[in-house]
Amino acid sequence: MPLSREAIVEGLRRIVGPDAVVTDEKVLVESSVDNFRKLQNIFDVHTMPVPAAVALPADTAQVARVLTWANDNGVNVIPRTGATATEGGLESAVPDSVILDGSAMNEIVKVDPYNMQATCQCGVPLQALEDRAREHGLTTGHSPQSKPVAHMGGLVATRSIGQFSTLYGGIEDMVVGLEAVFPGGEVCRIKNVPRRAAGPDIRHIVIGNEGALCFITEVTVKLFPYFPENNVFLGWTLKDMGLGFEVLRDVMVNGYKPSVARVYDPGDAGIHFSHFAAPDDCVLLFMAEGAAGIAKATADGIQAIVDQHPECTQVPSEYIETWFNDLCWDASKIIAEDERIRQTRNVNRTTEISADWSSINEIYQAAKQRIIDEIPDITMMGGHSSHSYINGTNMYFNYFFNVVGVGPEEETEKYYLPIIGIICEETLKRGGSIVHHHGMGKARAPWVKDEYGSSYFMLETLKRSFDPNGVMNKGTIIPL
Amino acid sequence: MTALRIAVGFKVTPDYEALRPADWARAATGHSAHGEAVRYVRRVFNVFDEAALELALRLRDARAERGLETSLVAFSVAGREADPFLVTLQALGYEGARVEPDADLDFAPAATAELVAAATRRLGGEVLLLGSRCGPGDTGLVPFLAAEALGRPNLPGVTAVEPAADRLRVTFSAGDRALRATITPPCVLAVGNALVSMLRVPTLKDRLAVRDSVITTLTPEDLGVDVPAALSREPSALVGLETIDRSRAGVVVGGATPGEEARALYEEHLRARLERI
Repeated sequence: MPLSREAIVEGLRRIVGPDAVVTDEKVLVESSVDNFRKLQNIFDVHTMPVPAAVALPADTAQVARVLTWANDNGVNVIPRTGATATEGGLESAVPDSVILDGSAMNEIVKVDPYNMQATCQCGVPLQALEDRAREHGLTTGHSPQSKPVAHMGGLVATRSIGQFSTLYGGIEDMVVGLEAVFPGGEVCRIKNVPRRAAGPDIRHIVIGNEGALCFITEVTVKLFPYFPENNVFLGWTLKDMGLGFEVLRDVMVNGYKPSVARVYDPGDAGIHFSHFAAPDDCVLLFMAEGAAGIAKATADGIQAIVDQHPECTQVPSEYIETWFNDLCWDASKIIAEDERIRQTRNVNRTTEISADWSSINEIYQAAKQRIIDEIPDITMMGGHSSHSYINGTNMYFNYFFNVVGVGPEEETEKYYLPIIGIICEETLKRGGSIVHHHGMGKARAPWVKDEYGSSYFMLETLKRSFDPNGVMNKGTIIPL
Repeated sequence: MTALRIAVGFKVTPDYEALRPADWARAATGHSAHGEAVRYVRRVFNVFDEAALELALRLRDARAERGLETSLVAFSVAGREADPFLVTLQALGYEGARVEPDADLDFAPAATAELVAAATRRLGGEVLLLGSRCGPGDTGLVPFLAAEALGRPNLPGVTAVEPAADRLRVTFSAGDRALRATITPPCVLAVGNALVSMLRVPTLKDRLAVRDSVITTLTPEDLGVDVPAALSREPSALVGLETIDRSRAGVVVGGATPGEEARALYEEHLRARLERI
């Protein structure tokens, strides 16, 4: 017999205290979605089941008690911190869910400049941790666009990546150790060591679990020396994305580690660089950073590689630096974007995938063409590659469409999901991954078996083992 | 019912939101420093002009619902940086034109207004819509001076325009009051803080449909405007720009009683400010 909403609220109040349980209707309705259905919040039209409550635990012990109680009573729990998810991972897929919000657990526990690592609770905003690291002349090296608003727990839970990943890696390369709580209330700490070979790397059960296995309460991440004075910016225009991918490959294969390495297609370049790029221009750009010698050698090496391609026309570095200085999304930009959507009904969405060097251009070309041909009301279809590796890169599809003839609540079904479907199909067909760094959420969960193939057995076993009662974020990663 | 032609003059400006505080300080220290600081920043529609462009489209749509014909032309006194914006406007149903100045017209309202008025005469437009003002250092004089040159009435602070039979019903602000006037074109409407402030977006198919459209390019000579002479008639010259410090901070006002706290608030934080007013 499922608990009533009243009983759920009462149960939570007993554990975290009445002041830490939010039942305000507006908060609950807004908490029924994340940015995947952002139009529902922008236009205040909601279709998802309304959660029973938002609970804000004060510490790990309270998290453990909530998860024990939820597990015993079959209550669906949606872990959340900064609430910046984009793929429906925070949606309440079933009625009377509980949003377990770790944002009140916001203490920076320790910054350890000697051992180059910092420990913080899950609700610490990345920006706050970065600011603290900067006081020591250090950086986290992690800089997703959501840096001012995203929290550490969510970043680890979604396997986040930052704009400087080519140098510093994704969050999985930065997490040293962590603490997580599983549905039965088991608190697990993974200690902070540089490396170990004591069996499987169990950090990876937690990193990227998207709240479908456990709740992350604390993380320890690496720190790096910060040398902004040595940053070197480089940029070129060129006419062919294929060539852009080739240059990125050359840079990676030759062992260079720029912090930023990107190629924009003409559509996407038109948004950011139309003041110097022609309408049919792609834009290739790099940032080299680090100690002076490293930054200079990296920039020189990249310059030499691109110089071998006379089709690339160099642009003044100030263009790239100015663009770079305005990269992150803060609250004011989010508010401005919401207002633009409200007035124009023109919506910007993104979908990121990855593939090896042989396939990436084909995936980009095929998906782009199909979307232009098959989806109505498209106003811009483009993208860029922004995270490269020695064996391949990502493609960050960036697209805009006008919402025409349907209400805001139908935007995902008419436009967004069909576009995601095309991108997933074209990616899977060529052996790529349908998710590079936003997480599966609920939006891409329908493709999980195709994504995992025979290794789906391992994922399903993890879910069954750690969450036998299925109370952790139903519908996320593994569809209902 | 006669057809109506609407001209909208717009300006493409640096995206000042993209400037860091240090660049802002440089941008605001004088004319040449301003140009240098904003050179590498992406361009956007001036916000008031963007509102004017959308208001004109909405007026066209509202008139079409009543069976009234409307043609639109958008123009900018600008270099080629305006072309991508003109292509977007063409895809939305505007004719596009660019007046290529032969001198730097930043902070030159009289010369700009002469070109705007001459372009309006050449391109046609019983209604001329302009943004009330532009970026830092803008005087807001262009709509007034253009109206004077055209010999038309000018309504400032326009926030909405609707069709009303042969006329237009215009909502505008004067001081802190919102007023509504029914007017017969020709006229100049200077768009202020309109609720509708953002331009709709054309689809890729809209863009494809106008890919062969031509942007009309005019020179001051074509329009019979002597820009150097017009510049010499500028009523004022910009000699410098300064940023106003609007930084904020929070402090806890101390005191044993509410009275003491109120006195401390006044003495330490309010008195000097009030004396400056």
